[in-house]
Amino acid sequence: MSFEKFKDRNVGEDGYYMVDIEDYPETGWGKFKQVASRSLKGELFVGLWVVLREMFKFDIHTVQYPKEKLPIGPRYRAVHKMLRLFESGTERCIGCGLCEKICISDCIRMDTKYDENSRKEVTEYSINLGRCIFCGYCAEVCPELAIVHGGRYENASEQRAHFVEFEDMLTPIDALKAGQQEEYPGFGAIIPGSDKSVKKTPLAY
Amino acid sequence: MDTAYFIETIIKIVVLLLVFSALAGFGTYFERKVLAFMQRRLGPMHVGPYGLLQIAADGIKLFTKEDIVPQNVVGPIFKIAPVITAATAFMAAAAIPFMPSFTIFGYEVHPIISDINVGILYILGVMAIGLYGPLLGGMASANKWSLISAARAASVFISYEVVSGLSLLAPIMMVGSLSLIDFNNYQTGGVGSWMIWSQPVAFILFLIAAFAETGRTPFHLIANDHEIIDGFGTEYSGMRWGLFFIGEYANMFFISFVIALIFLGGFGDGSVGGALALLGKVSFIFFFFLWTRAAWPDVRPDQLMWLCWKVLMPIAVINIVITGIVIMF
Amino acid sequence: MANEITITIDGKEIETQEGEFILNAARANDIFIPAICYLTRCSPTLACRICLVEADGKQVYACNAKTKSGMNITTTTENIERERRAIMEVYDVNHPLQCGVCDQSGECELQNYTLEMGVDSQNYTIADVDRPSVDWGHIHYDPGLCIVCERCVTACKDMIGDNSLKTVPRGAGAIDGAFKESMPKDAYAMWNKLNKSVIGLTSGEEMLDCTSCGECAAVCPVGALVDTDYIYTSNAWEHKQVPATCGHCSAGCQISYDTKHTSIDNPEEKIYRVSNEWNYVSLCGAGRYGFDYQNSDVTKDETAFGAALDAFKKADTINFTSTITNEEALILQKMKDKFGYRLVNKDAQDFKTFLRDYSVVSRSSIYGSDLEKVHNTDFVVSVGSALKSDNPNARYAFNNAVQMKGAGLYFHPVADPVVDGMSKNVVSINHAPLQEEAVLYLLLDLFGNKDLLPTKIIDYLATFHSMKTVTVTETIKEKVVTQVTKKVVNKETGEEEEVTSDVTKMVPKKVSKEVEVDDNRLLEIVGAPDKFEETLQKLLKKKETFSLIVGPDLYTHPSSQNIARLVALIEKYSAFELVMIPTLTNTLGVGLICDLDDEAGEYAIGYNTQGDYVLSALGDGDLDMPAINQQEGTLTSINKRVNPTNVAVGYGGYVLNDIANALGLKAEYTIDYTEQLPTARGFKTRKFDDLPNHYTNAGEEVRGYLLGKMPVRMKKDEHVVAIDEDQALDGTLVYLANPVRQFTPFTNKAHQLISEGGLYMSESALSGSELQVGDEVSVKTEAGEVSVKVISDNKIDGEIAYLPTFDANINSEALFGGYRFTTASIEKV
Ligand code: SF4
Ligand code: SF4
Ligand code: SF4
Ligand code: SF4
Ligand code: SF4
Ligand code: FES
Repeated sequence: MSFEKFKDRNVGEDGYYMVDIEDYPETGWGKFKQVASRSLKGELFVGLWVVLREMFKFDIHTVQYPKEKLPIGPRYRAVHKMLRLFESGTERCIGCGLCEKICISDCIRMDTKYDENSRKEVTEYSINLGRCIFCGYCAEVCPELAIVHGGRYENASEQRAHFVEFEDMLTPIDALKAGQQEEYPGFGAIIPGSDKSVKKTPLAY
Repeated sequence: MDTAYFIETIIKIVVLLLVFSALAGFGTYFERKVLAFMQRRLGPMHVGPYGLLQIAADGIKLFTKEDIVPQNVVGPIFKIAPVITAATAFMAAAAIPFMPSFTIFGYEVHPIISDINVGILYILGVMAIGLYGPLLGGMASANKWSLISAARAASVFISYEVVSGLSLLAPIMMVGSLSLIDFNNYQTGGVGSWMIWSQPVAFILFLIAAFAETGRTPFHLIANDHEIIDGFGTEYSGMRWGLFFIGEYANMFFISFVIALIFLGGFGDGSVGGALALLGKVSFIFFFFLWTRAAWPDVRPDQLMWLCWKVLMPIAVINIVITGIVIMF
Repeated sequence: MANEITITIDGKEIETQEGEFILNAARANDIFIPAICYLTRCSPTLACRICLVEADGKQVYACNAKTKSGMNITTTTENIERERRAIMEVYDVNHPLQCGVCDQSGECELQNYTLEMGVDSQNYTIADVDRPSVDWGHIHYDPGLCIVCERCVTACKDMIGDNSLKTVPRGAGAIDGAFKESMPKDAYAMWNKLNKSVIGLTSGEEMLDCTSCGECAAVCPVGALVDTDYIYTSNAWEHKQVPATCGHCSAGCQISYDTKHTSIDNPEEKIYRVSNEWNYVSLCGAGRYGFDYQNSDVTKDETAFGAALDAFKKADTINFTSTITNEEALILQKMKDKFGYRLVNKDAQDFKTFLRDYSVVSRSSIYGSDLEKVHNTDFVVSVGSALKSDNPNARYAFNNAVQMKGAGLYFHPVADPVVDGMSKNVVSINHAPLQEEAVLYLLLDLFGNKDLLPTKIIDYLATFHSMKTVTVTETIKEKVVTQVTKKVVNKETGEEEEVTSDVTKMVPKKVSKEVEVDDNRLLEIVGAPDKFEETLQKLLKKKETFSLIVGPDLYTHPSSQNIARLVALIEKYSAFELVMIPTLTNTLGVGLICDLDDEAGEYAIGYNTQGDYVLSALGDGDLDMPAINQQEGTLTSINKRVNPTNVAVGYGGYVLNDIANALGLKAEYTIDYTEQLPTARGFKTRKFDDLPNHYTNAGEEVRGYLLGKMPVRMKKDEHVVAIDEDQALDGTLVYLANPVRQFTPFTNKAHQLISEGGLYMSESALSGSELQVGDEVSVKTEAGEVSVKVISDNKIDGEIAYLPTFDANINSEALFGGYRFTTASIEKV
């Protein structure tokens, strides 16, 4: 799928035109004229014809959810996903806590610790999806592109706790190996062409 | 009265009741499907093949649903109102010849319950009584929306009674009888002899009045759709509500028969072909009801009244006068 | 003192003291000058150079340039802007991009200044060297993040006095020569220095062996030094900061309990760390790490409460310690007034008595100085206190005064390597126990104003002096003329010739002389080192202000009355300003508020101490009480300040006020008593909620209020008695003190400090005895006996061992008859 359409954020003026709306008739005579013209012009039959034509065309647009589903846009913000690093397979999240801080619903929490490898380890990470408003701020702020929005929007359940668990969000390691993890193009992703605005840092090795 | 006639009548009543109740059900199915197709949708699809069993599902639902009578309603009236609607609809059917007479086992059957000589008057009269259903139901519901809806229903029904009566007067003058059989017989001379050609104005006026009296779009004003409230039926549930529904659909069928019989040549010469032709015409008119619903918007109540009293009624009167003059000379 | 002057900074006229650093003057007037390496109260190091300003047209460093009257200062010029930006770029060279996990993120000065200077690109580069992070025990050092501002080194040296940190070579390659030309001058110089060093341990060991105050990690502007316990557990912005007062010792440091929910599953508040305004207050290890001593998981146990009420009805005595708030003390006093309980509190009683004896001479209800003044004096003397464990802040003040071009004398029987290591300007004198009076007489002799001192005392002091003849060796320089023969090339001939010439040299030569000198026997009594008087002369050069710190050894001294008078005499007749160290957290407050009794009655309630019925915030009593970090209330500090403290973690049980209410007193909250604290004793009628608790930019302590001065109604009596030179403790001596970072069983409850007490012996004492570390010994004195393990403590020296009070399992106090030293027999079991 090409994302050009989504990436073009310039909404131009092409294809827009003004709808000419007549003024309301004020006088009785005016009203009569309107009724007469509308009745005689056959506008009613145009209406009838349009619907009849559609019936015969039988161009049905119904999507028989849940048997059929519409594809969703790449910027759609449904239940979160936690991605892994493609190369090493380790979790991308470094536990910086920025998502926790920015979340306007205050629904992200995490426990971190200093692990055996002298790294910051996220021991537990939870999103209370009962409170989440899917604003996408967490995905946008994440410096590691670790937390992103997924496409799973069906999360009705008897208990909010069932909505999602960290394990469900995290790309399973075998799925990663099978190349099923895709980079997220939505909120927080790198803007195309941003390379150009980066000044290079000199490096001495 | 002999027993055979008695039994025959009973059988006819039962058949009529069963057939049209069932038809009302199918009518809803067709309506949904037709509307859906016209709007590029699929309509009911899940119960049975192509959603065919949806009617059964709806029936079961209506029959088994809890019958709620809200606290502040006027009990007896509240309860009787839907019955009035359904009953008057079916009572009107008594004077409608649904088919030409035929012979079965050597017994000649007249598919009309009672060929009274004031058939049309009777039908119009009984249908007018049907007004009591929505009116009483709405007034008894202890609900402001129901009340407003009832008032609207009353005004629409009473007003269009005038138009339907006056518009039919011209054809009646031409035929010289009030019996629908006579109307049918008047038009047996092929398509050219159909009343619609001699009385096109009356036809259009009656058609419009029929929409108003059955409360169908574009005159679907008795329900407050725009307030997302179902008008006089708001407080009803289960089978009571179902009776209103059956009444509305039965009315649509019967009025379709009436239109077909008066203006479109009825069953013609009484042959099998004529009978089938009648069914075809009725089906088309019924389909037309659905078609308009898909295509047209509702008008405002004041526009409806304006249309009735200032446009349609004068035209009807003029039509009568012209018809009279034509007949006279 | 310094004069008030007016200077102009960025067109704004401000008043300041002559000789104040420009930076401090600006800060006090809310003018921002970027500065990284400077620590208020410490000496400027000029490591960062970012504080460049222009003073009277000349570029100077604001942190070390002193103000002069009429000075005109501009905080930024084009050149300074360039310098600052270059400096920040240099700091960012090879700095790992790990703010995401860094513990300092959010309060990082590198982040802040990088943004402030608008560094959005990098011009400098150098090959990095491997700088692996190291674990120093309770502190974790990541040289990768270190910007070598040397604040940690400065804090440890100038404030703490441990000198445990220093800069060590980094081993990096040279900076590309091209930068020297292209870079702003100061930035290059700064980089040159930075590129040569990282921070290492002075001891050269693997692990930090210091007094573990954690101040270095607190002052570190970046995430290079972090408390090991805190590392990667939280982000700075997640914390609720509860302004409070440390409840461990009488210094009453201002701290902030940084709390947040315990974990995802447990929403209860938990203290993650203690932070402080390190520019103005320095914490000790107990304050820093001993924060989770709360009495947790307590619920309202109605039966226990009923039993407590019964016990109170039955009791005639309340035993308590001074680790309570002023309000609680007042509740106890009110209960005494109403029901006639006897209030027994040994430490407060001793201190109170000492203060009263002191006022008889001084005519003042309380000592005149405070630690803040000590910081700013040139010459400090400490008597009668194991400074570093009795009141770490007094030690910091002592050290700070010494480091800032001052000098000091430390009198204590137990040798203290930390004090000795502070500076060569500190002389410690390990006198024999019980000879504190001699020390005080010595001070009177050395510093007393002989014109004003009562003649009796002058006469008495004169008895110690005698003349004696000593042979002194002097080095004099002598002129010596020698003949030297050199080979010189004759310029004209080009030949080598020998030239002989006379060379005159000054050669030092030793000569012995007999001289008559004054012999002061007091020096001998206190055990002063050789040449003490000469050293003292040197130390006293250019010293104008003097401070005397006296400690708890004196309050329990058998002749404490005489000592108190001597102390008062010193304050009165010499330049010394006096501070006394209250024994425990609120000893001063309790002493002022409560009328204490000497003897307990038949049935005693113990509050945080022994009794027939025990109320305890330690969680081991019959009824639970809240610990100080679970209470709001006030504590009276050594600085005579009534400091408010707040609730950091929740408490679900009963408090003393509930008992008081049930017994008939009436107050909704404990803090309703804050405004009722006795004005007759110097307290003020201020509501708790009106008490501030912060420092201003000028470093002014805006906390609670200062105790007022109260008139003394006792008869003046300057009579003092002579010393008994012969009194001495024989045999093996044991001292009653705590190791650093421990004060009471409360500190010992904190998870980072928890440890088992024992008999602490210096390394030298251990090697000189048969005892090994870990041996179980029985310490027996006249008063009692305990059986403890031997622990080696390299923070003391000499023969005297000590027993701690922080371990509730060791009842050390029972071994001592009041005085903090005792003779004991130590036997291996
Ligand atoms: S989508 Fe918005 S509300 Fe939901 S977790 Fe992320 S930041 Fe919070
Ligand atoms: S912002 Fe990203 S990296 Fe940081 S804690 Fe959240 S998910 Fe992890
Ligand atoms: S020290 Fe400061 S700049 Fe460096 S990683 Fe930590 S927060 Fe970021
Ligand atoms: S913890 Fe305190 S004593 Fe130890 S090195 Fe740091 S500042 Fe110095
Ligand atoms: S460890 Fe911290 S305080 Fe010490 S020099 Fe490095 S950056 Fe400065
Ligand atoms: S603050 Fe002045 S040189 Fe660093």
